[in-house]
Amino acid sequence: MGPGGYLTAQTDLRGYLTEWRGLYSGTTPCVLLPSTTGQVAEILRLCARHRIGVVPQGGNTGLVGGAIPHSTEARPQVLVSARRLDRIRSIDAEDFSITAEAGCLLATLQAAASEAGRLFPLSLAAEGSCQLGGNISTNAGGTAVLRFGTMRDLVLGLEVVLPDGRILDGLRSLRKDNTGYDLKQLFIGAEGTLGFVTAATCKLFPQPSSVVTAWVTLPSVAAAISLYGAARDHLGDDLTAFEFASQFTVELVLKNIPGTRAPLDNPGPWNLLMEVSTPRTDSGLEARVQDFLATMQDGNRIIDGVVAVNRAQRDALWHLRHSMSEAQKLEGASIKHDVSVPVARMEDFLADATAAVGSMVTGVRVVAFGHLGDGNVHFNLSQPQDSDGAAFLARWDEISHRVHEVAVSFGGSFSAEHGIGALKVAELAHWRSGLPLELMRAIKFALDPLGIMNPGKLFRAE
Amino acid sequence: MQKIIVCLKRVVDYNVRIRVKPDGSGVVTEGLKMSINPFDEIALEEALRLREKGQAQEVVAVSIGPEDVQQQLRTALAMGADRAILVQTSAELEPLAAARILHKIVLSEQPGLVLLGKQAIDDDCNQTGQMLAALWDRPQATFASKLELKGTVATVTREVDAGLEVIEVDLPAVVTSDLRLNEPRYVKLPEIMKAKKKTIDVVAIDSLGVDAAPVLRVTRYDTPPVRSKGGMVKTVDELVTALRDRGLLA
Repeated sequence: MGPGGYLTAQTDLRGYLTEWRGLYSGTTPCVLLPSTTGQVAEILRLCARHRIGVVPQGGNTGLVGGAIPHSTEARPQVLVSARRLDRIRSIDAEDFSITAEAGCLLATLQAAASEAGRLFPLSLAAEGSCQLGGNISTNAGGTAVLRFGTMRDLVLGLEVVLPDGRILDGLRSLRKDNTGYDLKQLFIGAEGTLGFVTAATCKLFPQPSSVVTAWVTLPSVAAAISLYGAARDHLGDDLTAFEFASQFTVELVLKNIPGTRAPLDNPGPWNLLMEVSTPRTDSGLEARVQDFLATMQDGNRIIDGVVAVNRAQRDALWHLRHSMSEAQKLEGASIKHDVSVPVARMEDFLADATAAVGSMVTGVRVVAFGHLGDGNVHFNLSQPQDSDGAAFLARWDEISHRVHEVAVSFGGSFSAEHGIGALKVAELAHWRSGLPLELMRAIKFALDPLGIMNPGKLFRAE
Repeated sequence: MQKIIVCLKRVVDYNVRIRVKPDGSGVVTEGLKMSINPFDEIALEEALRLREKGQAQEVVAVSIGPEDVQQQLRTALAMGADRAILVQTSAELEPLAAARILHKIVLSEQPGLVLLGKQAIDDDCNQTGQMLAALWDRPQATFASKLELKGTVATVTREVDAGLEVIEVDLPAVVTSDLRLNEPRYVKLPEIMKAKKKTIDVVAIDSLGVDAAPVLRVTRYDTPPVRSKGGMVKTVDELVTALRDRGLLA
C-alpha cells in the first residue's frame, strides 16, 4: 500500500469507526487507504482469498451504519476508505460529462463543474464532506432531485472492482448504450455489498444563470401541496427545489445554530424553501416568481414570503435548510425516519404518523422536514424534553416500525434516500419479504458468493 | 426630519466570481447576477429604521446608471423606500462624476440626511460620499457602525484603524455606512407588490448639466497572481530547513 496507505493505531482509526451521529461505532484491525484502482483490486483479491470482510467507506456521513465495520476474531473485516482515490480524471464540457474517482468530495465535483462552466446538480447538506463513491453507493438524493433526479439519474458509467478483484471498466459517457443488462445500475444504491465503486462518469448540465430563491410560510401541508402543483404548472422545469419544514424544526435551527435569523416576523406552521432557476439569462424570472407567489398569497394558499435579493440572502435561506439535522442533533437523542409517500398523501401521512408516535411516547417532539417535491420527509423524533435519551432510543425499533407501517399504508417507502445500512435490515426483510428479497439475495450471491462485501448490511450476516 | 436620501449603486453580486475579459479591457458583467452594493443596502436599511422610529418622514432611493438599474431600485422600494430616482446614463462614471450628479439631486430634494455605503464593492473607491459632502459643503461622517439622531445633530460611531471613534455632526450631513451598522431585512411579498406601484422618476443625465467626463484612463485589467500551492512537511526539522531555504529564518 505504500506510505500513508494504511492505518492501524487505534487513535488513527477512531474517526473512521464512528458515525457522526454517534449511533454506530465499530471495530477493525486496520483502515486501508488505496490511491489507485489497481490497489483496490489487489485488496479485494487478497480479502477474497483469506475470507476477510471488506467495508467500503466514503466521507462517513451516512445515517444508517452502512460504512462501519464490525470485525470479530472469527470474521475479520477491514475498512477500505476511498479518501485517497480523489482525482478528477477528466471533464468534458462539450460532452456535458465528468469522470472522477470515488473519493472526490461532492463539493469538489461541484466546483470543478462550475470551473468548466457547467453544473453538477447533486446537492445535499453533507456536500462538504461526502464523496462521489458514497453518493453512488447510496443513490443519494438531496435538494435538487425534483429537477435533476437522484444519483442514479446522474451516472453514465462506472468503474467497479468486483469482490474477486476483477475490474469492471464501464466508464462510458454514452447517453444511449442498450447492450444487454445495464450492469452499472446494480452497483448504484447497493451500499457496497456487490463491489467497490472506484470511479464514475457523471452527467453535467448547463449552469443556472438566473436563480430566484424564496422562503414562504404556509397554513398547512395541504396548502404546500397545492402550491407545489401550481408552481409546476406555472414555472415548469424551472422549479428546481421545493423543500419544506415544520415551524418547530425552523425554531430549533434559530435556537441552536449561531448566526441564523428568522426570514419572516409572522411565522406559520409550515415553511417552504422554493428555488427557481434557468440557464437562460432571464431578467424577468424574479418578477414572474414574485407575481406567482403574490397570487398564491391573495388566494390564501400562503401566509407570507420573502424573496432573496442577493446571493448572501439566498445562502442564508439555504443555510437554514441545511442546518436542520445539525440543529436537531443538539436537542438530544433522536430517532430518524426517512420515508417517502406520494406527494398528495403527505399531509395524511404526517397527521397519522404524528398521532401514532404521540400515543407511544408522551411529549415526543416531531421534527419534520424534507423534500416535499419528492414526497420525501425526514420524520424525525427528538426525545421528550428533560427525559432519559437512552430509554427513548431503546424503543427505536418499535417506534420506527409503526412509522413505517403508516408510510406503507399510504403507498410509501420506509427508506427514501438514506438507505438500509445496518439500521433497517429487519425492516427490509419485513417489507420486501418473498420474491423481492429472494431476487436481491440471488444477485448478491452471483456477484459475491463468499459474502465478503460489506457483511451485515442490507441483509443479515450469514 | 422630512427626508433621507439613500444613494445606491448597482454592482455584480458579491458572491459571483469575477472574470477579467481576455483582452484586459474590463471585467465580464454580461449575464451576471447584479445586486445593490451591499454597503448601500446597509445604508438603506438604516434609513428605513430611522423612518420606522419616526425620525424621518420619507426615504428616497437614488441611483445612477442604465435602465436596468430600475431592478435594483424596485428592490429598494420593496425593502421600504418611498420613491426612487434614476439618473439614466449608459456611461461608466467615476466617483467625482457620481458625486456631482448626486449633489444636483440633493440640491433639488433638500434632504436632512444623505446615507450611502462607505464604498462600492466593484471599484472599492471609497470616495463618492466624501466628495458629495465637499461639494454640498456639509459635514461628513464615514465608516459608520452606529448612528443616532437627536435634533439637528447626528452622533456617529465610526470604525477606524485604532478602534471606534464617536463624533457628532450637524445636520444635514453625509453619512457612509460600514458593514456592522445593521443587517438588512428580507424583502416580503406584500412589499414587493406594493413596490410595483411606487414611482421611479427617471432623469436624463444631460438635463442636470454636470461635467461627468472621465478624468482617469484605465490602461488594463488583470487577475491577481494565483497563489502557489503550499507544501506539507513531515517533521519540525524539515519545516526549519524549508524556512531557512526561503530565507525566512536566520
